[in-house]
Amino acid sequence: MQRDLSFKWYFPHSPAAVWECLTEQEAIAEWLMKNDFKPVVGHKFNFHTKPIPKMDFDGIIYCEVLEVEALKRLVYSWKGGPAPGVITLDTVLTWTLVPKENGTEVRLEHSGFKGFKNYLSSLFMGAGWNGRIRKRLETLLNEKTNATT
Amino acid sequence: MRKLMLQPDPFQAIADPGRREILFLLSKEKLSMNALAENFEISRPAVSKHVKILYEAGLIMITEVGRERYCELNPDGFREIRAWMAYYEEFWQAKMANFGKVLNKRAKQ
Repeated sequence: MQRDLSFKWYFPHSPAAVWECLTEQEAIAEWLMKNDFKPVVGHKFNFHTKPIPKMDFDGIIYCEVLEVEALKRLVYSWKGGPAPGVITLDTVLTWTLVPKENGTEVRLEHSGFKGFKNYLSSLFMGAGWNGRIRKRLETLLNEKTNATT
Repeated sequence: MRKLMLQPDPFQAIADPGRREILFLLSKEKLSMNALAENFEISRPAVSKHVKILYEAGLIMITEVGRERYCELNPDGFREIRAWMAYYEEFWQAKMANFGKVLNKRAKQ
């Protein structure tokens, strides 16, 4: 149950102008949030905003630039949670610019909102499950299966 | 006063290793309370306490069949995720309205 949000907007401006607004720190701060973004693959940066306690969010978005194709495509991760180092929202933003007559279409995919089952499997694969516990569970499960067959 | 009602947060619910074991077992199959309890050394009431916390966090469903209660994962149970998606739906619309304004402003400079 992985889900994505996708959006499309049209702006009567050139792809170059749109790209600038999407990738310049000052511009981003103006329309989105305070940040230390750089359009360089591998660059890690944060957005800072107000915490939302109701959503278990401490106000910091942790990001890493994943892809940069000037004037066309920009991808970065978008993670956050209730406290530093605790990531409960683990998503990716993909920005795509499509030149149109007299303007630019901006597409945004905000992807990776994981459903519970996906979350569980990543939890079981992750550090929360050391080999010993998993092994014990496997043993338990095998015993259970044997007992019922 | 029982504290169980005060723990609707899925992440807190998952923070407990015993409850993760329960989830792990339920990720394989639907189980009756008895079958579930057989997997643990702790008492049945203790297991059902954990089950209740998981239920209140929206992570599992409980159905009653005759005298037996069955537990299974709630496939749609991640309220946080749904809340985040609803949040970002509005968030991006609002931010991109700003984006348009910033673009217009910059074009005039």
